[in-house]
Amino acid sequence: MSKALQIALGIITSIGGFLEIGSVVTAAQAGAAFGYQLLWAILLGVLCLIFLVEMSGRLAAVSKHTIVDAMRERFGFPFFSIVLLGIVLVAFLVLVAELGGIGLSLQILTGIGFPWWAIPVSFGVWALMWKGTFSLIENGASLLGLFTIAFVVAAVKLHPDGASTAHGLLPTFPGEDKAKYGFTAVSILGASISPYLMYFYSSGAIEDEWDESYIPINRFIATFGMSFGGLLSMAVLVAAALALQPKGIDVDKFEQAALLMTTALPKWGFYLFGIAMLFACLGAALEISLAIAYFFAQGLGWNWSENLQPSKDARFSFVYTIIIFLAAIPLVMGVDPIKVTLMGMALTAATLPLAIVPFLFLMNDPIYLGEHRNGWISNSVVAIVILISFVLAVVSIPLQVLGS
Amino acid sequence: MILKRPLVVPLLVIAACKSPTPAEQMDSVISWLGTAGMVGDAWLRHTTPDKYTRQTLELSHDTLLQIADDLLKSPPSGIDTASLDSVLTRSRGRVAQMARLVEAKDAPGFSTQLDSLRADQKIVKRFSDGIESRQ
Amino acid sequence: MKLVRDVLDKQLIDRENCEMGRVSGLIMHVGEKSQPRITHIVIGGETLWMRIHPMLGRISKRLARWWGPKRDGPVRIPWSRVETVGRDIKLDVRARETGAIDWEIWIARHIIEHIPGGGEKGEEEE
Repeated sequence: MSKALQIALGIITSIGGFLEIGSVVTAAQAGAAFGYQLLWAILLGVLCLIFLVEMSGRLAAVSKHTIVDAMRERFGFPFFSIVLLGIVLVAFLVLVAELGGIGLSLQILTGIGFPWWAIPVSFGVWALMWKGTFSLIENGASLLGLFTIAFVVAAVKLHPDGASTAHGLLPTFPGEDKAKYGFTAVSILGASISPYLMYFYSSGAIEDEWDESYIPINRFIATFGMSFGGLLSMAVLVAAALALQPKGIDVDKFEQAALLMTTALPKWGFYLFGIAMLFACLGAALEISLAIAYFFAQGLGWNWSENLQPSKDARFSFVYTIIIFLAAIPLVMGVDPIKVTLMGMALTAATLPLAIVPFLFLMNDPIYLGEHRNGWISNSVVAIVILISFVLAVVSIPLQVLGS
Repeated sequence: MILKRPLVVPLLVIAACKSPTPAEQMDSVISWLGTAGMVGDAWLRHTTPDKYTRQTLELSHDTLLQIADDLLKSPPSGIDTASLDSVLTRSRGRVAQMARLVEAKDAPGFSTQLDSLRADQKIVKRFSDGIESRQ
Repeated sequence: MKLVRDVLDKQLIDRENCEMGRVSGLIMHVGEKSQPRITHIVIGGETLWMRIHPMLGRISKRLARWWGPKRDGPVRIPWSRVETVGRDIKLDVRARETGAIDWEIWIARHIIEHIPGGGEKGEEEE
């Protein structure tokens, strides 16, 4: 495949794979409750993500190590086991949320409650992992995720005010509901800066056999893919601000979010929402399942690849089989996926320092990156991200108590 | 930093048990009445399917019932509680009726209920503004 | 060679390019009049968990008796079998013969291969 085509495919799959239940629910809540005021949180999250994703790809291309490989070797097993525990527990919660998102999408489209969908959905996700290749999962699911572009169409059709939208890109303090505003901002950042995305991206670079010649491609894909993806999140926020906020509707349940596009796209808006969310959550569920299995396999030195038959990387296949099965259980019991989503986003924000501090050390280690180590810009951005994530970790807990 | 993480789960449990203020409860009432109104509009325009519309209206009704029960257990001071109870009960009844009319596919009847619901929404909004101004 | 940086926790690859785990520990011989030297690489869950706490190592050992392939202690590979130490550690061994992938084989044969689409039945253990 030519490099230009690879860039195009990489950007398209980044866009298609960007939205998932966390980013949609948090952006919809933000728009419904605060209008344009929290656009800055999405912008900040996406900026951070661009740098982190670019670094993940660069580490893999130059060192031929995934982030997890490098973390285990550089920091040793005791530290790695703490990261493993923290990241995997939170990623598991997010997996429950994504499987729930698929179930809720099917619920609104068919009228059949999401607990009934828990097992067929989990089985379907598992079957795709079992029989599929990395390329099918990364490209196929993400291409289907392009249905989420409907959010941009809806937002544009609602004629957002340019000046107010631009104003929302700058951080402001709310007049009232400060705790809720803070918590919503935390959730947006947690939804945008997902460690599992970094692990998945670096593993994908190894699966696709990237080398140093891919560094420019990586930069393009990270920058444009994540930027356009971020636009999708902003579109959800804007659509909620224009369609739901004037009616005083808060997004507490998925059924309320489903009304996002019905004003702008009367004929197809509802169905597009359901289909877009179905594919977005499916892509995310596949990614997270793979990311968790990669974490175990790479960290413990097992054979791993999504391109191998399951019996050839038995432990890797066993891990994702078990976690998908376990993730179905809360949903069968009727646990609300939206509540799990919000808890997952806040906990993601709380555990970001655990993922990013070691990453910063790795990105400056000449053994792994040689002359391709971080420059001062990348280091500064990551340092700011660590600071923000540390503040989030401290603040998100009491904010959750006050604002949820 | 390590210590804070074990604190997250018990604090989240505490958070789940925290009671909302009367102003927050009224915001929720407005939100769910708004949801019922918006989904009603969408159904009349053939934008949303019957099953989803009915289920959302039923969800709105059940949520409104729960909020009203909590709100009236410890009603806010300085508010005509009887009138508030009356409008909440009436609007809930309309939402339940709308759900039944979706099942019966009775669009004219549904439209009448929706218009009345909008009138109730205005009254509820006045109560909500009153409660907020007292806080 | 810096043992912690260059050897410990490194990926081990056998002569057939099979990933056979990571270095969990090292056994060294410390003579009275000679330089300490590595004699064996250790691969095994028990050794790994002991690095966090000895109690976890004991729990891991006890659990391994109830489920999975039966082994007498962790896998030890003589240092003489190390071919190169670089990005990974390349060993002049066949992973299957060392016991390092016993868990992989056990899970493949007892679980994965029984699920449709899991793959062909593996080779018989030698």
